[in-house]
Amino acid sequence: MLDSKLVRLGAVAALAVAASFGVQSEVSSAEKTVQIAGFGAKSGVVRSFGINTEAVLNGAIEAINAGGGVKLGDGSMAMLELSFYDDRCNAEEGISVLRRIAGSDAVVAIGPTCSNVAEPLFGILQKTVDDEGDSGLQIPVFTDTAIKGGLAKISQWAFRNVPNENQMYKSLFQWISSEHPDLKTVYGGVEEDFAHSRFTWHKVMKERSPEAGYEVLGESKWLLNDTNFTTQVRQMKKAKADIVAISAHPFTTCGVLKEMKRQRVKPSLLVGLTSSSSMETLQGCSEQAEGIIIPTSFAPVTPAAKAAADAAAKFDGSADLHSAAAWEIVMILKEVMEAQGITADGDSVDADRRKIRDGLANLKETDGLLGKIQRTDEGEAVKPYLYVHAQAGEWAILHDPSQ
Amino acid sequence: MDWLDFFQSITDGLLFGSIYALIGIGFTLIFGVMHKINLAYGAASIAGAYVSIAVAAYVPLPALVTFLIAAIGSGAIAFLIYLANFRFIPLASPLATLMATVGMLILIDEIVVHATDGMPQPYPALFADIYIEWGDFGLRGDLIFIFVLSLIAMVVLMFMLYRTRLGIATRAVAQQPVAAQLAGISLDRTNALTFVITGLLGGLAGAMIGASVGVLSPLLVVPITVKGLIVCVIGGLGSIPGAIIAGLAVGAFENFFLAFRGVTERDMYVMLLLFVFLVFRPGGIFSRSVARD
Repeated sequence: MLDSKLVRLGAVAALAVAASFGVQSEVSSAEKTVQIAGFGAKSGVVRSFGINTEAVLNGAIEAINAGGGVKLGDGSMAMLELSFYDDRCNAEEGISVLRRIAGSDAVVAIGPTCSNVAEPLFGILQKTVDDEGDSGLQIPVFTDTAIKGGLAKISQWAFRNVPNENQMYKSLFQWISSEHPDLKTVYGGVEEDFAHSRFTWHKVMKERSPEAGYEVLGESKWLLNDTNFTTQVRQMKKAKADIVAISAHPFTTCGVLKEMKRQRVKPSLLVGLTSSSSMETLQGCSEQAEGIIIPTSFAPVTPAAKAAADAAAKFDGSADLHSAAAWEIVMILKEVMEAQGITADGDSVDADRRKIRDGLANLKETDGLLGKIQRTDEGEAVKPYLYVHAQAGEWAILHDPSQ
Repeated sequence: MDWLDFFQSITDGLLFGSIYALIGIGFTLIFGVMHKINLAYGAASIAGAYVSIAVAAYVPLPALVTFLIAAIGSGAIAFLIYLANFRFIPLASPLATLMATVGMLILIDEIVVHATDGMPQPYPALFADIYIEWGDFGLRGDLIFIFVLSLIAMVVLMFMLYRTRLGIATRAVAQQPVAAQLAGISLDRTNALTFVITGLLGGLAGAMIGASVGVLSPLLVVPITVKGLIVCVIGGLGSIPGAIIAGLAVGAFENFFLAFRGVTERDMYVMLLLFVFLVFRPGGIFSRSVARD
């Protein structure tokens, strides 16, 4: 009696297990996923950058998944799934995070936030594809925020969708020259210890402005966590330049602008760093920043850009020139994955990574939120841009150079 | 650099140095009483300033009241630091409390970062639009106010230390803790009150830094901690007059080298000054003799 009960119980259990396997395999077929890794600063003083990037990534992925997901090489559909890592804007942590991502099933990594992370991090990628003597990591890294010029050429696995500041500031100074022919001189203010701001003043603004006919009268330097700008602004005041170009992040930009107001330094025109065209600047010193002109590759002026901004807000972030690039990256990746026919099964991670890399390397032009984005052979983007200026506590469009 | 630039940079530095003096006093007072370094002191000072703008976000407040709330907020945080990092941790182990305060520094910093997403927050200032000029020489009205307010705070502190029962108790604990206990002075109560008093000063310093920059940021924590420690060492550990003089001197010194050698070299000279004191006058400005082993 007991035996027959046991047999029946065993049979039921076996059926239940078999049924559950069947259900499980059906579920896994229906919910095939493509793993994407995002990483950036989610702690420390640049935390807002990581939060915004993650929010935009989540928004873009939700939009793609709502449309059915990504079509794989075998014709089936797969949902995108995001894991986001915090690198604290620290090079060692960024490298550690990328090694973890490389050891996961993620087929691509999107990040990092900071140029001082991107530069060494690209250095641990395989420099040249198919170089068997190079044991560097082989995973495509697509950067949305780290903007310091010319970094993608470090590795053929590195790609960026960041604006080309050389082009933007060259065009901006030429436009200012045509709009304000009476202005002749430029004075620079630079946050000297941050890779992006330092590069942008010394290699971009300082070199591009003379090409537009301006004389550079000098420069004042300060550090990212300085608290007193009296001496630097006094130097600025002595120069009596027509244009003051500030290459610094929002905290010190605001400190300097407030000091300029105190010392009554009133240049005819203020030019700011691309990264300062954010809510941080307006939150910190909207009154003093009034009128500052900044070139940017994002403004919610097209239906796609508005959708990106709305999606970011839904996930408690905001779309700006950096984070909005993450939206474009996800859309580009979807196109590339489908064109390259990735398979997204457990054994194809390396092959899928290679297909995505090759697909990205072959791109010449992609869709962007403000228009077409050109891709260079070095993995960089040439993005459309606008000039915005701070006006009554908001960033308002001043000029669209494409028109 | 001409003489005008020289005097200008020294004057600006002296005015700003009053904030360093306040921070240095906080470090030195705690060391004087407990013979411990509280590395979370700078973080508590800035956190107090954040508390004040959090309150001001709900209730519009005049700047002076905002500064007062910063002091009270920092005093409360300092008391919590005392409880978490000193009251229940064995004081016999110098490393235990030191590392606990390092952890507290990072914790407070990250709380501020998470609460604000690291975004700079505007901070009110008094006399920010006043700029007094004599030809090419100029003085910031807000820095003069900060200097005067810091001096008043220092005078009040000195009065408290030398003219009140609490001050006598504090000095007694600093000099002879066992004898102080035998005389009926509670060590815990005196230590806790010392933390609250230094917290009040630190909150005022945090508010003054926010007011002088016009913006609060978690970026401020590390520099004021480093400057506070330098001031504390140059002034002599435990010496309040030393901290005041050293704060003003470091402010002037760094501003002079900022103008004379540039921002990239400025901190090198401040560190050199620290090394000079450590080698030739390890007891600080007011030490009577070189006391090295």
